[in-house]
Amino acid sequence: MFVSNSMTRKVITVEPDDGIFKAQELMAENKIRHLPVTTSGNRLIGVVTDRDIRSALPYKFFKSTPSEAEKNNVAELKIKDIMTKDPITISPAFTIQDALLVIQDARVGALPVVKEDGTLTGIISVRDLLRAFINVLGIGEPGTLLCILVEEKVGQLKKIVDAITEENISCGSVLVARYWEKDKRAVFPYLLTQNVVYIKEKLTRLGFTLLDPMEWYLDQLPKNE
Amino acid sequence: MSNRTGFLYDDKYQEHLTGNYHPEVPDRLPAVYKGIQEAGLLEQLTLVKAVPADLKWVETVHDPQYIKRLQEACNSGSNIFDSPDNQMCSATYEVSLLAVGGILEAARLVMEGELDNAFCAVRPPGHHAEVSQAMGFCYFNNIAIAARYIQQEWDIQRVGIVDFDVHHGNGTQHIFERDPTVFYYSIHQHPTFAYPGTGREFEKGKDAGHGYTKNSPMLPGQGDNEYKQTLQRDLVPAFDDFKPQVILVSSGFDGHIEDNMSDIKLTTEGFTWIIKLIVELAAEHAQGRLISVLEGGYSIRRLPELARNHVKILLDA
Repeated sequence: MFVSNSMTRKVITVEPDDGIFKAQELMAENKIRHLPVTTSGNRLIGVVTDRDIRSALPYKFFKSTPSEAEKNNVAELKIKDIMTKDPITISPAFTIQDALLVIQDARVGALPVVKEDGTLTGIISVRDLLRAFINVLGIGEPGTLLCILVEEKVGQLKKIVDAITEENISCGSVLVARYWEKDKRAVFPYLLTQNVVYIKEKLTRLGFTLLDPMEWYLDQLPKNE
Repeated sequence: MSNRTGFLYDDKYQEHLTGNYHPEVPDRLPAVYKGIQEAGLLEQLTLVKAVPADLKWVETVHDPQYIKRLQEACNSGSNIFDSPDNQMCSATYEVSLLAVGGILEAARLVMEGELDNAFCAVRPPGHHAEVSQAMGFCYFNNIAIAARYIQQEWDIQRVGIVDFDVHHGNGTQHIFERDPTVFYYSIHQHPTFAYPGTGREFEKGKDAGHGYTKNSPMLPGQGDNEYKQTLQRDLVPAFDDFKPQVILVSSGFDGHIEDNMSDIKLTTEGFTWIIKLIVELAAEHAQGRLISVLEGGYSIRRLPELARNHVKILLDA
């Protein structure tokens, strides 16, 4: 669950004195939108994004073919003129959860990953985090999602897991979410099977409520708060 | 005048055993038979019997290593293959070959004009089976093999597959997703809520096959009305454009309101409406040529009437 496991290690970087077209080409070639800017010794000094480049280009570059002179003017623009200096970074020792919170708070699409000594070791993007969470949810594998409503008291999840185990079913993931009724929780086991008939019957017999899937709400806030 | 409709049925398909604790049971087939027999429809049907498939046809879809692996698992007495979902017995390999062979025989009769259409009541089902992996009670992808067989044995450029099993036919989709000569259309419970987790609206085929896969995910609780609207909106224009020369149907009855494999609420009449629509498409584009193959459907109580109505529509088309 650490940033170091989910980040992209082979970082494509630019230097502060590189021209803006070089950055544009690198982004297009590699289908990326963020380039860390480094100096000698792989020290991070900034980040340049595709948006920084677009903002730096005159309107004419989008609407018509610019003249040679205009191209030359823009070609003189350096990365250091348009980059974000001292960008928000994250440590490789941070967790994926940390990265989610930082990215949400900073409203950026990617974070350079910087070691304690200030050198760049990777980059983690929203895309990397999505991949990590697709894995966490288990939805890359075939399965069936259930939603079970439980009273918020000790031992409920154990009962559910025991029932699933007795049915010899593997779990891709289990999410526990708040439910809009106070003192209740919604449990979402993602079961790696097509055969959910018996487990559904068993859970109902154990006194659990299987929620109508149309009532599912993964990030529901309790109504009474 | 009624159609010459084939009915593939054989007691041998009951020899694939799935243990005492599995919904895909041998009893499904006698339930299908009973419904058709009690309605007095048997006399009007042409009975087709099981024959083992020539491996060369199975290999048009499946990896030879996979076929061998399944055969060896059966011979060694395993009762699970690739996933605990796939319960099996020592006869499973042979019965799977008989299922494919019977369907190919029905397809041959239709393609040669001896039959107008056919309903193949086989086990095990097929649409989840991938090139090299058994999944969701399926071992050989019956419908995919039938499509390849028809294309290679007759001069057929365009095969249309309609899959109304409540689960998405991941195997069939993956086999044909790069192939513009086979159009795969599936309507099923939304993959966020149901097995196998594929068949989302944005899965439309790949490379040259882009635009030749279409998925209509249905939300839990939806039934006849939503299915009718969706099929009219998605399937009809797609097949009007594609103009399939023959239509294969993955007929799964597990979207029935009384079938607890899903949260879809189709009624018996809803299923009748669906096959009627597909039969009309076959009449319009494919000279009526339609081969329907049983996939899921686990309500032993409802299977008789569902099969009866299904066959009745094929006869009356």
